Amino acid sequence: MRFFIFLTLLVFVVGVQTASAQALDISSGGLPTITGSVNGSVTGTANVTGDLVVTINFGEVSPLNTNSVVKVLVPIALRSNQPYQVSVSMSGLTNANSEALQASDVGFGVQNPRLLGGAGQICNQSTHIIRSPFNNDPALSATISGSGRVSYPSTLASLSGPTVILSGPELSKNNSSKRQQSDGWIFDAVFALTPQFFVSGVSSATLIFTISPGPNVPC
Amino acid sequence: MPRLTKPLLLTILLVSAVSCFGQSTTGTVSMSATVSKFVEINSGGAVTLTGNSGGGVTTDGVANSPLAVSINLGELGPSNTNSFVTAQVPLRLRSNASYVLSMTATVTSSGTTSNRIGAADVGFGLGTITRSGSGVNPSGTDTNATSGDPTLAANGSVNATTGRYEFTAVRSNLSAFSSATTALSGPFIMNAVPRSNVNGLSVPAFFAIKPQFFENGTTTISVTFTVTAP
Repeated sequence: MRFFIFLTLLVFVVGVQTASAQALDISSGGLPTITGSVNGSVTGTANVTGDLVVTINFGEVSPLNTNSVVKVLVPIALRSNQPYQVSVSMSGLTNANSEALQASDVGFGVQNPRLLGGAGQICNQSTHIIRSPFNNDPALSATISGSGRVSYPSTLASLSGPTVILSGPELSKNNSSKRQQSDGWIFDAVFALTPQFFVSGVSSATLIFTISPGPNVPC
Repeated sequence: MPRLTKPLLLTILLVSAVSCFGQSTTGTVSMSATVSKFVEINSGGAVTLTGNSGGGVTTDGVANSPLAVSINLGELGPSNTNSFVTAQVPLRLRSNASYVLSMTATVTSSGTTSNRIGAADVGFGLGTITRSGSGVNPSGTDTNATSGDPTLAANGSVNATTGRYEFTAVRSNLSAFSSATTALSGPFIMNAVPRSNVNGLSVPAFFAIKPQFFENGTTTISVTFTVTAP
């Protein structure tokens, strides 16, 4: 008898967890890519049902790297059966020397929302909105500021605490309790870093992407 | 099967099944970047040759291009009545770290006597150091280890005993640079700007020879500048 009670509770708990999990989900949207790097790399999974765990090494970003920019493109998949929003928070990258690499030196934009297969939901009454100022490809929109330093329309310094970068209506047609290959949307997180005369050193940062219930917009 | 084993197995089974669904509301992107010390020396522009009789600039400097200058100083015997033959070679340095500019010089003459042109007969010095332009770090003190323009009266004179003109100030002639010797040092030059920025630290390198009754022949002077970030 005690075993059946335990089993019932377990099934209930798992059921609740599953119901919760299928509502909002973020995962890899495909293999991330890097261009223009010297001794750089990016790792992640090509599997859209895999977790979003990406490690970017921009490599050498002093003038030893003669490429005009190091660009990293990270596809991110989203699934939901309700309106959603995606926020990003950052930790790290706190160099005291203003001539060292700063958060404002890493361009960050959001591009190219697109369906992830046939079970992705197409809503006619609402669109997916890339929040300002993130709707740009920083590698294509870099400019030289008055000080001579490269600037971007949006950077990691644009993240002030958890910052919403994207929102919209529901993303998935089905209510599957597990990730599928074709049941949501993908967008690209684009990072750009121009090699410059930064003060020497190694810098690092961590970004957490979070999907949560968003503004209640119709589908 | 013991009473506790069944629930335990079921728990593991079910939890594993949920884990396989792999759904998550968060994802992580970790990033890193490396900035190594960087220094470079380039030409700061065209060479200025004065006081020469014959000769000329064979390969001129081009601003922000690799430094590879070739100069024919012309006649250095008494038939050249100018007080000095002087070549001014503009240098441009850039770095993201403290730098040291060192120099090595060799002087080879076809003459066989002590009256041939030697390293001590070639005056040398670095002139006024300029840090200007967008993206250049204007602060910090650069240390010029030479005595500046070697033709200045304070930097040389005729030896009262031998009659030969001598560059006498500290590191004012090439004999002081027979091995790599520091000529200039200072703090980082460039702020965080891309390499396409053409500004930097500018300094002229002066080379001077006083025409005298040197032993006839030809002389080759070779100078190598090296900048490092120690």
